[in-house]
Amino acid sequence: MAAATIARSALKGLLRSSTTVRTPVVCRLSTVALQQKFRSINAALKTYNTQYHQNGVQRTQQYTTGGHHKPSPQEIEERVLKVCKAYDKLSCVKLSVDCHFINDLGLDSLDHVEVIMAMEDEFGFEIPDGDAERLVRPKDIIQYIADKEDIYE
Amino acid sequence: MAQVPLYGVKTHAQKVCSLYKRALRNLEAYYDRRNVYRYQAVLLRDRFDKNAKVTDMRKAVELLKEGEEELFLTQHPIPRAFPTSQGGVAHARVVTPPDWVIDYWHPLEKAHFPEYFKRREQRKKEFIAMWEKEHGPAEKKEEKH
Repeated sequence: MAAATIARSALKGLLRSSTTVRTPVVCRLSTVALQQKFRSINAALKTYNTQYHQNGVQRTQQYTTGGHHKPSPQEIEERVLKVCKAYDKLSCVKLSVDCHFINDLGLDSLDHVEVIMAMEDEFGFEIPDGDAERLVRPKDIIQYIADKEDIYE
Repeated sequence: MAQVPLYGVKTHAQKVCSLYKRALRNLEAYYDRRNVYRYQAVLLRDRFDKNAKVTDMRKAVELLKEGEEELFLTQHPIPRAFPTSQGGVAHARVVTPPDWVIDYWHPLEKAHFPEYFKRREQRKKEFIAMWEKEHGPAEKKEEKH
């Protein structure tokens, strides 16, 4: 009992005895804590968004365990065009599926090799040289990848 | 015979493209930081571009030979490979048996899937008819022993 009175007297300086004054103090403390929590959540969300929404396309990570997700033809087209746009010589040209890389877009054969390498990195399998030189339009690349992954409409 | 490509025979340009690709992959094996790799890749591209306008074939062949030599001497001891390509971790991991294996099932096994095999036989007939329509009737094999 004595300890309780000592503690109460010590706190008296900090917290006013009347309840009407005490409530705003507690409220303010809780709002500060809430604000800090919101800030950390916002920061986490921001990093998530920048990581998974590159170039306006959502990136879905695939795991080795669990079911294999087969991309739809539209998804493949989206990814192929995204990779083309990410290549620095194609970033400012009007891209469509039917553009010829060398004749229409003005790339040379070494640029074409680099584009195909970027496709390999994106889709995770090797494209042999003999096949690569026939993939001269984004359309051909999409068809090739769909054939490889056994995807059809 | 003009349509039939000669396998294993490559033009000079194809050889240069192949060398460029392998050289880039080799750089990728050395430099795992993407920005560092890109810097080295740009330097490599510059070296290729400098000799792009060489019209003297003898000199071009010589340069290609030098390039191959350099790539051989600087190749990475543990090159990176895609999982399913040669040398990758998942190479030939999943073996899909070819379609004709199903034709050699035991009749009792086939009887488990009657509808599938009925349709399969029908499709085989249709395919043979399509082939004969396109290429003419199949030649009768002479019995030889």
